[in-house]
Amino acid sequence: MAELALARQLRRSDLARGGVSLWIRSGRPYLYLAPFIIVLGAFTFWPLLQTLLLSFQAWNLNPDVPSRFVGFDNYRGVVSSSLFGAALANTALYLLAAIPLKVILPIPVAIFIWSLGQRGEAYRVIVFLPTLISFVAASVAWVWLLSPLGGYLALWLETFGIRMAGLLTNADTALWTILGIATWKGFGFNVLLYLAGLTRIDRSLIEAMRIDGATDARIVRDLIVPMLGPSIVLVLITTVIFTMQQVFTPIDVLTKGGPANSTTNLFYMTYQYTFVGFNVGFGAAATVILCALVFLVAFVKFRIADRLVHYTD
Amino acid sequence: MEDRHVVTFGPALRLAGHLLLGLLCIVTLLPMLLVVGTAFKPVDEIYSISPWPVRPTLENFARIFEGSFAIYLWNSFGTTVLRVTGQVVIAILAAYAFARWEFRGRDVLFACVLGALMVPHTLTMIPIYLMIAELGWFDTWTALIVPNLAFPFGVFLLRQHMLALPKELLEAAAVDGAGPFKALWSIVIPNLGPAIAGLVIVAVIETWNEYFWPLLVTDSDRMRTIQLGIRRFLESDGGENYGPLMAGVTVASLPVLILFFILQRRVMQTFVSSGIK
Repeated sequence: MAELALARQLRRSDLARGGVSLWIRSGRPYLYLAPFIIVLGAFTFWPLLQTLLLSFQAWNLNPDVPSRFVGFDNYRGVVSSSLFGAALANTALYLLAAIPLKVILPIPVAIFIWSLGQRGEAYRVIVFLPTLISFVAASVAWVWLLSPLGGYLALWLETFGIRMAGLLTNADTALWTILGIATWKGFGFNVLLYLAGLTRIDRSLIEAMRIDGATDARIVRDLIVPMLGPSIVLVLITTVIFTMQQVFTPIDVLTKGGPANSTTNLFYMTYQYTFVGFNVGFGAAATVILCALVFLVAFVKFRIADRLVHYTD
Repeated sequence: MEDRHVVTFGPALRLAGHLLLGLLCIVTLLPMLLVVGTAFKPVDEIYSISPWPVRPTLENFARIFEGSFAIYLWNSFGTTVLRVTGQVVIAILAAYAFARWEFRGRDVLFACVLGALMVPHTLTMIPIYLMIAELGWFDTWTALIVPNLAFPFGVFLLRQHMLALPKELLEAAAVDGAGPFKALWSIVIPNLGPAIAGLVIVAVIETWNEYFWPLLVTDSDRMRTIQLGIRRFLESDGGENYGPLMAGVTVASLPVLILFFILQRRVMQTFVSSGIK
């Protein structure tokens, strides 16, 4: 591999210079890495380990009350709880709905923007804007837009004599409302990822097809969409991860998981256990389960990202 | 090169495309315009359906700055600057070690970087909460800054860019007798200008917009960041005062949007690599 060859070459030139003892030189990489590794170890990996330990204990977050070792009780408790059931079902629903909205719909949008070339720049920028706005700001804005009490949409409907329903306080509509807001915010990012994939398509292939008399529709169907294959998989996985993690903020700002657990998801559930119910053991056990799930998705993603690199080289 | 139109759809498809995109742009922009419009509305116009104020006023902004918004902005601004500076410096050093040397444990450590990319704050929140309290950092800038100084995406991105540098650059430096730090400072960093700039902007946006971390490690009004600030405002008296509330949303979003319009292309490119990572 090129990078190894480069490293070897550089090391040879280091050695050739002499002067500094070999001992210092062999410690040098660690010196450059130290600040990063220390912070990452202390505030990411150590807490992960701690979470694992906490998941076998019963504790209520009160420093005056000692924790108790309870084995796998927390795991059993979490898995059989109604909150876990609701969170799992909602997570599945969030993900299933995200596929048509955030994975498939951006494809034609990206292809169309791409076909406009430089003239599509304005579309590209506008569609991207919600990515830059924080989820809190977006959520607060939508609270006002959708509020049945003097919200903008309510005022508007009132002029037609229609009463606005409280979308976020109704267990049947709250999840879909959050999903809509998350789609509003995340759509453009996926369009951008597809646009990046489209720029990698070899244009001579398109020209060759055109010489063979292919229509635009055929070029899109037989060349562009198949060539987007790896991008589609990538966007799918990115969307799975983002949808799980990032809806935490709208859930917390808009519904706090309610009404009746209808909007909570697996990530928000761990927060509910720990900081709402003060059940550290359940929170930790739920986190460990979630961790396993996240690493599984991550593993699939890296395998595919690796393959992608080979495709594009 | 990008302006060559290799695929030009027929007029019917093109019309359909522009209609779809037009609709999408309206759905995207309309909420933003309504928010900004309402932020400038006087009290007696808040419940009118006109998107724009008839008599624009700054009183909503005056109202939130009479409250705690100046403190919120200062907390967000100060912690963002310090945290991103630290993140980028530490990421440059780590990426350089990964890109330049072969050493024992390198691949394992790099796998840890890739693994850490996948660990959101939610997964470490319980021990972090306890640690921050034990360290006496709770409700301080230190808690907002220090635990986040390791920025795995930054290491990942900069390492890639460093590996892509032409070998001759570093070889020339070695011939000139420049030590590794000199080579980093005078050759690698100047050649990575655009990548570092992109990284800084993405880190700034991420930090500025962050919600969960400040929610976890701060408590008092004087330590709140702007994002927590608008949220608390929604829950307190802002819930019914839509004018000041929308002024708050505008103030919280404006810095990032301004940054974006100055450095558009670079921001979008780095966001793409954050998705592909």
